[in-house]
Amino acid sequence: MENSFATPPSPVLRCDGCFTAISDVDVYCANCGYPLKGTSNEQKRFIYKQNKSDFDSVAFTKRVKNAGETLYYLAGYFIFAGLVNTWHFWGVDNMLAIVIPNLILAMLFVALAGYSGKKPLACFISGLGLYVIVEILIMVNNPGSIGLVSLIIIGVIIGYLIKGIKSAVDIEKIKRQHNIV
Amino acid sequence: MNLEENVIEAKPACVNCGVALDAKSKFCNICGAHQNSQGLQEAESKWPLLKQASLFYIILIVSCALPKYVEYFDTTFWAFFFEVALWISIVAFFAINWRENKKLLRWQSFSWQKLCAYLAITVTGAFGIHYVMGWLNIVIFPNNELFDKATGSGFLYSAIIVFFTAVTPAVFEELGFRGYLMQNLLKISDERQAIYVTAFLFAILHLQIVGLAWLLPLAVFLGYIRIKENTLWYGIFIHFAFNLTACIFQLF
Repeated sequence: MENSFATPPSPVLRCDGCFTAISDVDVYCANCGYPLKGTSNEQKRFIYKQNKSDFDSVAFTKRVKNAGETLYYLAGYFIFAGLVNTWHFWGVDNMLAIVIPNLILAMLFVALAGYSGKKPLACFISGLGLYVIVEILIMVNNPGSIGLVSLIIIGVIIGYLIKGIKSAVDIEKIKRQHNIV
Repeated sequence: MNLEENVIEAKPACVNCGVALDAKSKFCNICGAHQNSQGLQEAESKWPLLKQASLFYIILIVSCALPKYVEYFDTTFWAFFFEVALWISIVAFFAINWRENKKLLRWQSFSWQKLCAYLAITVTGAFGIHYVMGWLNIVIFPNNELFDKATGSGFLYSAIIVFFTAVTPAVFEELGFRGYLMQNLLKISDERQAIYVTAFLFAILHLQIVGLAWLLPLAVFLGYIRIKENTLWYGIFIHFAFNLTACIFQLF
């Protein structure tokens, strides 16, 4: 008479960094690079860097979102400027020459803002270039219209857009570091 | 008898220690090496490349805006000075990555049929744009501000206008935008985004909001041709033909 006992399944070994299944011959996790057989300090340092990357990703994603919203604000500003100019220059000969550029700019910023969710880098670079050129044209055509408050606002808007570009690049870098792409 | 086919799949080797890895391994399970170090290097080089491109663009903006809008620089001397400064800057930036960029100066895909076809499309488009913009000029700009008017006459005047409006912009703008800037952006993003961003930055640099209506499609066309043919020469001739058509309307 044979007695057969079913051997209990051996517990699946899992990486402490990403919980992917590993084998006992692995020195590092093939999925995330966690030092499976490293010292306690090495493992803690890895987890710290991983958590920092996660926090940074959240911060960068927020900056990308802020930059996208900045483009919407700019679109709103040019729509508002178009409406004000239409009212102010109503009936004047060159009314369209003043109003139409505002509407074109509003449409461009709306398009850039709308598409920034899919292609943030391209849209923020384009939006920044367009905004800088528009401000230069305003400054040279009407230097008196630029005061300290305007300069601060221009600086803030440019800052948001540059941060958005840098954050989009940094998100890409984090993805590459963790081989998520 | 059934023969079992034993398919031995070649396993990728670690880029650092050479040990065989699973196809899905992102890190080596023995030495921990990142298996896509090239991708990581590319990601880390994006921000420095963007800063370099920004410096290039700021130089272009300053060189274009100062002589056009600042009274002090609105003289023939300063116009020529900024023009030459622009040429030198463009050549300098193009030469930064000379080993890669010089390939764009070859014309291995040259074909008379292609060149004639592209030029025919360009000249047809230029005629169409001239008449549409002419109509818009009357409707929107009662002072006829959209077109620059010729202020002189004679062969020498015409030759100078053609040289500075058709020849040099075709050469240097292609070198700068579809040459340096596009090569830079191709390392930062994909082809479509590089074409679009280069086209957009090219178009807005002309400092004409209404002119974006024709500058943007022209620039996208030039960018597309540059990627498709992998040379600057088609773009140079297309750009020259377009600007020459505009010159002819301006002069005659």
